[in-house]
Amino acid sequence: MTDPSPLDSSDISLSSEASAVPGVRLQTAVGAGVLLVAAGLAFGALSIPGDAGYGGVGPNFLPWVCALVLALCGGLLVWEARSGGYRAMAEPSGGVQADWSAAVWVSAGLLLNAALITTLGFILSCTLCYVLAVQGLRRAAGQAQARAPRTWAVDLFTGLCISAPVFWIFTQFLAINLPGLTGTGWL
Amino acid sequence: MEILDALMAGFATAITPGNLLWALVGCALGTAVGVLPGIGPAVAVAMLLPITAKVEVTASMIFFAGIYYGAMYGGSTTSILLNTPGETASMVTAMEGNKMAKSGRAGAALATAAIGSFIAGTIATVVVTLFAPTVAEFAVKLGPPEYFMLMVLAFTTVSAVLGQSRVRGMTALFIGLAAGCIGMDQISGAARYTGGKMELLDGIDIVLVAVGLFAVAEVLYAALYEGRTKDTQNHMGRVHMTGLDWKRSIPAWLRGTAIGTPFGCIPAGGTEIPTFLSYAAEKKLAKGSNKDEFGRQGAIEGVAGPEAANNATVTAALIPLLTLGIPTSNTTAVLLGAFQNYGINPGPQLFTTSATLVWALIASLYIGNLMLLVLNLPMVGLWVKLLKIPKPQLYAGILIFATVGAYGMRQSAFDLFLLYGIGLLGVLMRRFDFPTAPVVVGMILGPLAEAQMRNAVSIGEGSWLIFLQRPMSLTLIIIVLAVLIVPRLLQRRART
Repeated sequence: MTDPSPLDSSDISLSSEASAVPGVRLQTAVGAGVLLVAAGLAFGALSIPGDAGYGGVGPNFLPWVCALVLALCGGLLVWEARSGGYRAMAEPSGGVQADWSAAVWVSAGLLLNAALITTLGFILSCTLCYVLAVQGLRRAAGQAQARAPRTWAVDLFTGLCISAPVFWIFTQFLAINLPGLTGTGWL
Repeated sequence: MEILDALMAGFATAITPGNLLWALVGCALGTAVGVLPGIGPAVAVAMLLPITAKVEVTASMIFFAGIYYGAMYGGSTTSILLNTPGETASMVTAMEGNKMAKSGRAGAALATAAIGSFIAGTIATVVVTLFAPTVAEFAVKLGPPEYFMLMVLAFTTVSAVLGQSRVRGMTALFIGLAAGCIGMDQISGAARYTGGKMELLDGIDIVLVAVGLFAVAEVLYAALYEGRTKDTQNHMGRVHMTGLDWKRSIPAWLRGTAIGTPFGCIPAGGTEIPTFLSYAAEKKLAKGSNKDEFGRQGAIEGVAGPEAANNATVTAALIPLLTLGIPTSNTTAVLLGAFQNYGINPGPQLFTTSATLVWALIASLYIGNLMLLVLNLPMVGLWVKLLKIPKPQLYAGILIFATVGAYGMRQSAFDLFLLYGIGLLGVLMRRFDFPTAPVVVGMILGPLAEAQMRNAVSIGEGSWLIFLQRPMSLTLIIIVLAVLIVPRLLQRRART
């Protein structure tokens, strides 16, 4: 899928300054992204066997249908974007400008969690994810105290207070396997 | 009588202390996720799907069902008290509910929403009790071509009728269908789109898609765009309805139920149409000073009707889910996933092969509705306190639960990376106004529809004409075409 590309100010407004509807160039990019996905699906479908047995429809049928329909949709999206923008767009909620630094904090939390969960264990890894994500969200909200060491300490404590009981409930009572730092089942 | 006996047996299963506790926890959790912004019932059920590995099937389905309709009760509380439009289902409630709350009548709005939900939910449960077995008996006669066309109907309505744009709806649907292709083909065993990765051979789990598209995307979106959005909350007041409020609410509840129930029964999905219809009906039927209240001080009928319609639709949607195995919303799609985790495929045979489960589930709907009335009327003040949790902490906390759901399912860190990618896709879809329900429904229903289609063509000995030769399947094709074409014709006519 296409990652959201950095906005520049000319992309943001379609008709008026205040509109949060993404601009024509970005809309075209999304349409092109759909076309790319369609091409990827078609390329992948080439290597799926088409042996249909006596049924007449093989395992590569639906992938081809998806590729063709998505190609059509992608084409239509590009055309819509080029001829005045996507039709019947609802104004997206929230601000016009994206707060990329906040998203980086949240992303860092999620990705580090994915990378470290098996080594650090659920509790510590999720606490780290929480602390980073909440930092990003606090900065997005413009909280002045976000950077203060006290806030970090409070967030660290809150993160532990959420992830530890969650770990215990799910592993001890519901017998779901979550990774621990130790083999004790409590950390 | 047969139905009554079965229902009684269902109650016997549902009122064992263990199952009652699961129902209560489910209802409470459902109300909580309904009240809290950022997570809905689909995500809540998806995050908890790993419990299906250990918890017994009846208990967990009762639990999930509690979350499913508990969220409807909780959702109306938030949409009345917070001045931000929530999910589409409660958007209509918000229109009049907000106005009532602003003119100091939040208590009456909350009461009419809760009691209306209870009445509509109970009536719709009676409908489920009476008609689901009949539909199941009828559905046994359907073959693969009919099933396939029913699923096409569900796809069409979810993607083309609901939502703003047909192109974007179709794009979302086919992305879901393509995602459903990933993994081992269930008929031939051929690997599709796995790129040689072992982790992908089992396919992408519905948990990942639901949690990624809704929970992770919501958090990322909040960080990107909604940091500066300030929520304002209305003052609650005493939860109480006057005699006049009752007089105005009762007919609205009944009309809402009458509008909502049939919409839930058909495999077409969505609560948008019935709630809007109910709102329009109430506005049209109101007279004198009551009519003037619409859009100004807030009319109680405008909350009572749509709330009832919403709950009736949601409850009746269990009929196509249980008897045909066709989900028509995000949450029912995830519920279908829960059944599949137990190796159960909902469909007409469910009423014979898993009778105990089905009837215990239906009985638990009656019990759950009663529990929810108690949880939501006297205790509404408690739930409202949840709205005080600051957004950064709430959203970051959601990520911890998202990790449980995504990792707990298969114990694979790869899934957590995938979860992040799906979250990014969700942000993109939300910003560019692509509907998400078609992705989830397409992904879970896609493989089933594909199997039915291939079986159907096999029955036709390789000929696609089989879909036209059978009367029921032909009728369904005509309905699908009508669903696609008629609204467009009406639009064109309205323009000229």
